[in-house]
Amino acid sequence: MQTFQQDCVELAWQQYRRGKVGRRTLMAGLAALGATVMPGGQAEAQAARDLVMVNWGGLANEGFSRFYGAPFTAEHAGVKTVQDSTGPSAGRIRSMVESGRTTWDLCDSSASSSIVLGRANLATKIDYSIVNRADVIGPGFALEWGAAPYSFSSVLVYDSAKFPTPPQNWADFWDLRRFPGTRLLRKDAVAVLEAAQMSLGRAPASLYPLDLPASLKRVGEIRRNSVYWANGSESEQFMRTGEAVMGQIWHTRAKVLEQETNGRIKAVWNQGILQPGIFVIPRGNPGGEMAQRLLASMLARPEPQVGLLEFLGNGPTNPKAAALVPAALKRFNPTDPPNATVQVVVNGEWWGDNYQNANAEMMDTISG
Amino acid sequence: MRRDLGWWALLLPAFLMMTVLYIAPIVQVLAISVTEPQLGLGNYDRLLTNAGVQRVILTTLRIGLLTTGIALLLGYALAYVIALARPAAQRWWLLGVLLPLWISVLVRAFAWVTLLRRQGLVNQGLQASGLIDAPLPLVWNEFGVVVGMVHYMVPYAVLPMLASMREIDSRLLAAARGLGASRGTVFGRVFLPLSLPGVVAAGVLVFIFSLGFYITPAILGGGKTLMAAEWIKLQILDLVRWGMGAMLATVLVAAILATLAVFSRVVDLRRLFGARA
Repeated sequence: MQTFQQDCVELAWQQYRRGKVGRRTLMAGLAALGATVMPGGQAEAQAARDLVMVNWGGLANEGFSRFYGAPFTAEHAGVKTVQDSTGPSAGRIRSMVESGRTTWDLCDSSASSSIVLGRANLATKIDYSIVNRADVIGPGFALEWGAAPYSFSSVLVYDSAKFPTPPQNWADFWDLRRFPGTRLLRKDAVAVLEAAQMSLGRAPASLYPLDLPASLKRVGEIRRNSVYWANGSESEQFMRTGEAVMGQIWHTRAKVLEQETNGRIKAVWNQGILQPGIFVIPRGNPGGEMAQRLLASMLARPEPQVGLLEFLGNGPTNPKAAALVPAALKRFNPTDPPNATVQVVVNGEWWGDNYQNANAEMMDTISG
Repeated sequence: MRRDLGWWALLLPAFLMMTVLYIAPIVQVLAISVTEPQLGLGNYDRLLTNAGVQRVILTTLRIGLLTTGIALLLGYALAYVIALARPAAQRWWLLGVLLPLWISVLVRAFAWVTLLRRQGLVNQGLQASGLIDAPLPLVWNEFGVVVGMVHYMVPYAVLPMLASMREIDSRLLAAARGLGASRGTVFGRVFLPLSLPGVVAAGVLVFIFSLGFYITPAILGGGKTLMAAEWIKLQILDLVRWGMGAMLATVLVAAILATLAVFSRVVDLRRLFGARA
């Protein structure tokens, strides 16, 4: 299963190869994602003062050192950051921590994973005397065991050639009579169950706790008319080729689709599920407290966050960033205030309690 | 006796290496199924109580059996043609069978997507010829998965059957014909029984492979077909329920060993896995 971060890296390279962005932009964007890699594959901390960041893509190192590493090193003499692109799934973090030889400092994870890891005593609590809660736009972006330097959203997309009256919300998404055709959902419970719950008429403001049996049943209702994606390029393919006429996909892919189809495929911010790109610190990380300082620096700098948005579309999380976004890009920014207000921020706490169970049941439902 | 002991001693280093580097780590992982979340058989209890696990196992078995059946049928026909072809033609046939083996499983899965999807070649062709009005659902379901898996498994079905067909003495067939048997009778009473060991061997091989398929169902299943391998991955990497993942892995290993044990009484497994020419 591909994560959002992996997909961003893939998307960046795709744009670069098609000549849509230059090398500098590519590197800047990758650096903002933390998606650069040490030559020779897996990075290892060569000295005690190296910080190992772990991401989901397998790419070059230079951009990161220019974009995040250099400013951070300038502030903290002698501290370098190195990149590892192993893909820090919760399972991998667990096996590393339990083996007693943690070599990772800061891992690109998710809200639910951070809570699952934290409760299992596999992640370090974020030290909010170092990391500033005021550096993010909302409480959902600064959690107990992780904080988010970027955001992304799961939005409704539809093929406007198929529907003269555009669908507006998840209730329309579930309305196969008014909007016939195949639906596209991610093969994961997060965001899908929120959409199902909203389609049942629950107000976005009081979405949680989700009614698990009801929303799972709702997913089951359209199972026969649905396909499920595991990675971003797959979601794009399904929409572009017309296999699906309406879908819930990451807003970064929605932007690409809208641009490539000259607006035939459109995205709707309304009722989108806004999610934090949470970084976690594995327990017993070699860099110790310095990892907290690196994370603090990533949250505190709005400019690189805007650079990332320009390049790929990931939303900034720093409250000062939205104002710095060029006008043409504002409508693609998930955390632009007008866009953010019509979306729902995913509740990491609820998912921390329910992810394992809900996802297992979701798999049962869609493979039923 | 003493000399025998010497031979065994020579084997000892290899045996120890296998145990330490291969068997021990596997056992260690499989043991998680009884130690997590607490000591006991709680995870195995889920086999009886959890409908989700049961469905995954049933789906895996169903697709495995279906794939095995179809691959054996196609493979048998192919092996039959190859066995009876002239030597020069045989080489070309064999090349044709083996060629797909060298193409990545990923590439082949995506090729099937291109052929079978709604606007794929097959549906477009059928629509253009007026045979169907609306595209058929050929992929993103179990049908697509079975097509992809059969395509992958046919060479594995052909090779053991071909080997056993080549051992059939062609004079027996000629003798049967000479004694007045029809072509059908020769095939049904002489050729088929003599080739059966190859069929069983191929069946075991294909079935065992099919149980562990991961990429093909993930791509061609449209997310709706969940087989054992993907389920294990989900438990281990994403849900961090190692006990459950290890439980199904253990069940899978046990099922494979049991299949081998049963069929080792019927066919010579050493030949199947290439230990004897």
